Amino acid sequence: MKSYIFPTIAVLILAGFAHGAPDATVHSISLPSIHIELKQGAGRQKTETLCAICHSVDYITMQPNFSRAVWTAEVNKMIKVMGAPINEQDAKTITDYLVTEYGARPSQ
Amino acid sequence: MKREFSRRDFLRVAGAFSAMSAIGGLPSALTADERRLAQFPEKTSLILLTSRPPQLETPLAYFNELITPNDAVFVRWHLSSIPTSVNLSEWRLKVGGNTERQLELSMDDLRRFEKVSYTAVMQCSGNGRSFFSPRVPGGQWKNRAMANVTWSGVRLKDILNRAGIKAGSVDISFDGLDAPPLPSVPDLVKSLPVDKAMEDDIIVAYEMNGKYLPMLNGFPARLIVPGWYATYWVKSLKDITVLSKPFEGFWMKTAYRIPDNPCGCLLPGSPPGKTVPINKMTTRSIIVNPPADAPIEVNKPFEISGIAFSGGYGVRDALVSVDGGRVWNEARLGKDLGKYSWVRWRYPWRPEKAGAYTLMARATNSVGESQPLEGLWNPSGFLWNKIERIEVMVR
Repeated sequence: MKSYIFPTIAVLILAGFAHGAPDATVHSISLPSIHIELKQGAGRQKTETLCAICHSVDYITMQPNFSRAVWTAEVNKMIKVMGAPINEQDAKTITDYLVTEYGARPSQ
Repeated sequence: MKREFSRRDFLRVAGAFSAMSAIGGLPSALTADERRLAQFPEKTSLILLTSRPPQLETPLAYFNELITPNDAVFVRWHLSSIPTSVNLSEWRLKVGGNTERQLELSMDDLRRFEKVSYTAVMQCSGNGRSFFSPRVPGGQWKNRAMANVTWSGVRLKDILNRAGIKAGSVDISFDGLDAPPLPSVPDLVKSLPVDKAMEDDIIVAYEMNGKYLPMLNGFPARLIVPGWYATYWVKSLKDITVLSKPFEGFWMKTAYRIPDNPCGCLLPGSPPGKTVPINKMTTRSIIVNPPADAPIEVNKPFEISGIAFSGGYGVRDALVSVDGGRVWNEARLGKDLGKYSWVRWRYPWRPEKAGAYTLMARATNSVGESQPLEGLWNPSGFLWNKIERIEVMVR
């Protein structure tokens, strides 16, 4: 997994301030921007674009190497249960990508 | 704020900072199992699981302390649209539905109710999910999606009594400021049965360890259901709704459910069957010191220590084995902060021979509930409380 953390000096400065009590009536934070790069492979672009509508792709990279059955069920769950707007063909592209790049080795 | 950091933790933190300061400078050799630290606002460097929405786990060294510092408390959000700014002059906690009155409480209003405080363990339902065998999908937490915090706030019961629950009410739902990224995604709303919600110890907390809540832990106020998993501890509360019909939202009816049997478990890999909403935490004991690869010297005193807690029944005893579970010895329990808190335990040890040792720890709560030797399995990866077992080398 290759990943990059964008530092944003602003975040570090903010984090330094944030330990005091919120005297102001408005309390705000600014979230760091963290970029996770998925493995190269067929379907990577679709996977990155469509999954990232709702969540960062470290949701993918933190999972163990699942079987095709488990990855298929996960993609279906995202669409049918969690409401992801992904059509059937894209779902297949994403599932194949996950199985190939983040799936169980045949011996497992 | 007192910190006890191992040198290893220091190196990890230092590594995270240098990674953050060099764009694209992370080594490309990170393995799938290696985890890294990230710093989010109002938080110290925590283990990054996911960034949007944030899921951050606490490094082990913080569990050397009885109370978890606010900036080290784990973070877990479900939906990517999380609150990042709250204007307290506009924020109101709305209470309504099947009630005599509709309330719109400001923070000042909340602070005018009687203030109550207690210490309670907050733990993610999926804490320990990465130890399941076979593995299950979801947040791949190790053991550290948990914290022991002194919470202060107002009794939910007092708020509900001011609103006046009408006869025939069955459930009460709780909604926070977080929102789904698309209208098709189910909003995170949780519910409690009315009888549960009226228990004395459930509070709307506006302070953690005497300070305001960090934004990522639910500023300005969150629900605390001590003894129950944190899925019910709705963050950044905005609406409390009393219902005359059972609540049927996704996060109660479909998600956060366990098999309907005494262990909440199944034969690995089998389908879920009949389920019920998860609630009480299982009893647990965690070895904090030594960490798995700490150097231990032969014939020198070494103190094994850790923490133990249960789902609101306190801890009757904590046992330690240094020989893989053949002999169990009682550990000394530390200061007791009440039935919802964790207790620290310590066991003095002096290994007489060099070699490999298997250390184990188990706790029993005051009603006799303990921990299984083998990990129990369920499809969502909940309730993990297998007896801990770590291998150490004495030299």
